[in-house]
Amino acid sequence: MSVFDIFFQQLVNGLVLGSFYALVALGYTMIFGVVKLLNFAHGDIYMVGGFLGFLILSVLAPYVGPGWTGVAISMVVAMIAVGFLGVFIQRIAYQPMLNAPRLSILITALAVSLVLQNGVLTLTNGQYQPFGADLGFGGVNLGFLFISYNQMILVGTAAALMIGLELFVSRTQYGRAMRAISIDKDMCRLMGINVTAVIAVTFFIGSALAAAAGTMAGAYYGSIWYFMGFLIGIKAFTAAVIGGIGSIPGAMLGGLILGLLEAFGTQIPGIGSEWKDVFSFSVLILVLVLKPTGLLGKSEQERM
Amino acid sequence: MPTATTGMGENLTMKITAFLATTAIAVALAAPAYAEMKIGILVPTTGSEATYGQDMANAVDLAISEINAAGGVLGEQLSSVVGDDGCDPQQAVNAASKLASSDVVGVVGGYCSGATVPTLKIFGDAGLPFVIAAANSTKLIPANPGDAFMINSTGNDQVAKAVEYFSANGIKSLAIVNQGDAYSQDLADLTKKAWEAAGNTVPAFEVANKGEQDYSAIVTAIRSANPDAVFWTAYYADGGLLIRQLRQAGYQGKIAVGDGSNSPELFNIAGSAAEGVVGFSNPTAEFLPAAKSFIEDYSAAYGSAPGPYAPLAYDGMKLLASAIETAGSTDSAAIVDALKAADYQGLAGEITFTPENTLARSNFVVLQGAGGKWTLAE
Repeated sequence: MSVFDIFFQQLVNGLVLGSFYALVALGYTMIFGVVKLLNFAHGDIYMVGGFLGFLILSVLAPYVGPGWTGVAISMVVAMIAVGFLGVFIQRIAYQPMLNAPRLSILITALAVSLVLQNGVLTLTNGQYQPFGADLGFGGVNLGFLFISYNQMILVGTAAALMIGLELFVSRTQYGRAMRAISIDKDMCRLMGINVTAVIAVTFFIGSALAAAAGTMAGAYYGSIWYFMGFLIGIKAFTAAVIGGIGSIPGAMLGGLILGLLEAFGTQIPGIGSEWKDVFSFSVLILVLVLKPTGLLGKSEQERM
Repeated sequence: MPTATTGMGENLTMKITAFLATTAIAVALAAPAYAEMKIGILVPTTGSEATYGQDMANAVDLAISEINAAGGVLGEQLSSVVGDDGCDPQQAVNAASKLASSDVVGVVGGYCSGATVPTLKIFGDAGLPFVIAAANSTKLIPANPGDAFMINSTGNDQVAKAVEYFSANGIKSLAIVNQGDAYSQDLADLTKKAWEAAGNTVPAFEVANKGEQDYSAIVTAIRSANPDAVFWTAYYADGGLLIRQLRQAGYQGKIAVGDGSNSPELFNIAGSAAEGVVGFSNPTAEFLPAAKSFIEDYSAAYGSAPGPYAPLAYDGMKLLASAIETAGSTDSAAIVDALKAADYQGLAGEITFTPENTLARSNFVVLQGAGGKWTLAE
């Protein structure tokens, strides 16, 4: 492979990685937008999504096969189920804390993260669980570049979900309410917007997107385990910060940028793949120091 | 787990009673009530390597129940205490300290080398004999204070076998991938050295981050180096992911894995991508003629076939028991002396030790993935 080949290969790999980061980062940023909470349990929502997708697929596989059809149905069902889980968590853990000091709700989020992680740890005995999807190894070979069908489907699905979200946020009443709440929650309440319902919808969508990413990651990479949400959780947080936390296009952009930065950063001679995490979190620090509002974020007086 | 939580409505008397009861239980637990000899088991029973760890603990318990059925050791019955090292150096230190302070006469176990290294000092300070059943990094050798005994062939033996295999199969360039932990890095470094000394090349030497799902960066680096073979020196869970992604990206060369990856689970995670993958392994139970009845007993007791390190864990326990019998007492120093002089015929072969307390002869074989399971390649 020449430098040219490596460039295009890593472009594709970066897009795949970036799609996962972006889907998870969207939930971070949307939830931060409406309740000003850094939901550190979001990575674990992704993990639960992976496990639910796996459970549904293992029920479905005898009927529809372990290919993309089965994975797609599992993904949709897991998205709905995890969406409701997100709303449930919001109701019991975050709703009572909304008027408490910011630090209390942050600690609650960490507790929710530990509950989810250790719950799955106990249920699965901490073992790696093969996902059981069989997606094949086919792809398009352009000579200088190999793109597998799986990568195309993955990036395509992520793009479709993001376009759908963008339409929802920009064109629907709930979307408009969501944006309004992120600017001034109390004023929205005075204007007669059902803030509680909009917050619930936000948690539903954010969690469902994370579940979509979790199921696709399980199917694409082949195995899931209770700790799989930890690293992607902080990576997605990084992506949300790069794009500007609170900004939905920012989260998409941040996810793709982080994916591409990692893909190319690891190919610089002298910086091996073991430096990948050092690389991404150095970017986080740089962004926080140089442009704390991120690329697309608006500056606000009050920040965490 | 006993707790002494009291509700808001309960009065002080209840609290005092609960406190006294807890104290009484603690005192009763601390005193050796009857003639029973405790053996510590140090394995990961949670985390990514839990499959191997639980398997080893089961094998030790099987050996203990057989020993007890035959009258015990020095007339006393054996029982086991498990310390979960989680394949993590910090957790291992806690687990080892817990074992060292729970009156055990000796310890069997040690699966992840990285997690086993820091426990050597703890067991050494306590003077406890420690039979290391599976962990086989050469880093364990200088860290050994003298009371630990390695009954698995070390990385050096595996490297010799790997270089011999690659050379015999016409491979000239070899990409090596490890995970940066004591075991896999050690195996990778030693292989690189031996491979280059034999006049071959290592065009890619990569380190994977543990717990990461996406290995596309490494896959691209390997494909651009285009080696004849890839050697993964770490464990099966992440190895399965790498194998799958290498094949998905269209890599056609040979893939080999070290003995940390020779679990049947590799085929579940990597799927059909693991077909034709070569694995270096200590002889697993199914390839050991002497282990036939062990496999039957193990399957009867636990409802599943023993994993790759079960025979070694079983041998380790039997070896420790015979050393205690030879020593004639539970005195740690006497048991260590008996182990040094041991000549024990186990399931995996004859156990005698070098002056460095490592196994005197190697026992590696080459396996190949075929039809979703490991088969003997030779």
